[in-house]
Amino acid sequence: MAIQIVMDHTGDTRHYFDAKDSQAIAKAEERFKKLTAVGFTAAVRTTAGEVSQTRSFDPTAEETLFFPRLVGG
Amino acid sequence: MFSFRQRPLDRSRLRVLRGLSTIFARENNCKARGLRLLRNWLTPQQRAQVDAKRYFDVVGCDSGKLYRIHYYGVTPNVHEIEADGCTRVGWCFAPFGDLVAGDIMLAQKIALETNESGALAVANRLLPKTFSSNLCVP
Repeated sequence: MAIQIVMDHTGDTRHYFDAKDSQAIAKAEERFKKLTAVGFTAAVRTTAGEVSQTRSFDPTAEETLFFPRLVGG
Repeated sequence: MFSFRQRPLDRSRLRVLRGLSTIFARENNCKARGLRLLRNWLTPQQRAQVDAKRYFDVVGCDSGKLYRIHYYGVTPNVHEIEADGCTRVGWCFAPFGDLVAGDIMLAQKIALETNESGALAVANRLLPKTFSSNLCVP
């Protein structure tokens, strides 16, 4: 199962989806587009633990993390 | 007779259930979940650093500079570390919204490691007089 983790006031909300299910992938892609359109940053991890930002939906990513846009404090 | 014997048993069961409920609540509250997510995304070195020193270091992807993210989660908690190990500049930035400390620190880490210039462009730069820190932590 792949997972999309969205940071929010509860800590995070997790959306699991089957990466072999085309309907689930479409839904996950739609979620990705909606979140990034409102300013969320999407990040993925490599198996070595390195983090990278991603600007397009990757159906093979096992874990994608979304955090809101950054602001100065 | 039956109810007389059952009462003490029920009380002890209740106590156990209350204990379990307390543990569950403690480990699954927002703050704990945020810190757990952060730990999952830290490198093994950063996790070890947090355990030992309550902060972790990240390397800016654009400049190669070292930043120290302090574990207390209240901004400004990001300090730029000079070659001599001293802190001379603090950076204040966080993801928008009401997020828990673990989430804030994780977003700061990812931002500096993947889009340092973008993060610093929105951040407020602070001089040591305006934030408290150990100025030199080797």
